[in-house]
Amino acid sequence: MNEHDDQQIREVLRQSFSPVSTELGKDLWPAVLHKLEARPTPVPWYDWALIGVSAGVFLFFPHLILVFAYHL
Amino acid sequence: MDLLQRFALGEIDAFETLVRQFQGDIYAWVVRIVRDPGIAEDLTVETLWRIYRARQQFRPDGSFAAWSRRIATNLALDYLRRKRPERSLLIEPAGATPPDRLVQKETRQKIRQAFRRLPAKLQVAATLALVEEQPYDEIASALGISVGAVKLRVFRAIRVLRKKLNNLGVTP
Repeated sequence: MNEHDDQQIREVLRQSFSPVSTELGKDLWPAVLHKLEARPTPVPWYDWALIGVSAGVFLFFPHLILVFAYHL
Repeated sequence: MDLLQRFALGEIDAFETLVRQFQGDIYAWVVRIVRDPGIAEDLTVETLWRIYRARQQFRPDGSFAAWSRRIATNLALDYLRRKRPERSLLIEPAGATPPDRLVQKETRQKIRQAFRRLPAKLQVAATLALVEEQPYDEIASALGISVGAVKLRVFRAIRVLRKKLNNLGVTP
């Protein structure tokens, strides 16, 4: 394949596809806001896991609450 | 505190300002890839939603435009992967006038058919580089790869496309 072949296929592709308008016809902020309200940011699973592990540790070793509070 | 720092901290007003500033750029990039205005609008909204969700990963000293374009490109790629081959890239709008009559209608149809059967990664690189004539460095940045890798994908796209066209009996 040479430069001429590349140029040829480039030209054929350009002729085969109509140009698309890249102008955005409307403001998308209302749709974005709606989506943000409808799908709040989920709490990641590892945060829930951390909370669970911490609760378990504090339940079985309550004195660690003081150690934890000291390091806060 | 500047706009990007406020956005990174989750201020919705700062995000709204960024959306109004960049939505046109993001849409223009996505519609070049998917070539369907309705789909491109949906993907732009999804991109902006993901941007807000990932705001803590954004470095305020970085480029918001480049970051948003990267997220948009990944979403467009996912869309092409999911939708192939039944409804895919480069569906000619009804009544559209071809830019040139040199390539006949049937041949153009076969070329589009062959093109939409390319792997999504090759399709995106070839569409942006060959059809839309976007600069290689911008394509590379949006895809998160090197300029050399973009050139390689375009080269492979041309090679595969040529083979598919030969199988369809089309000699460009």
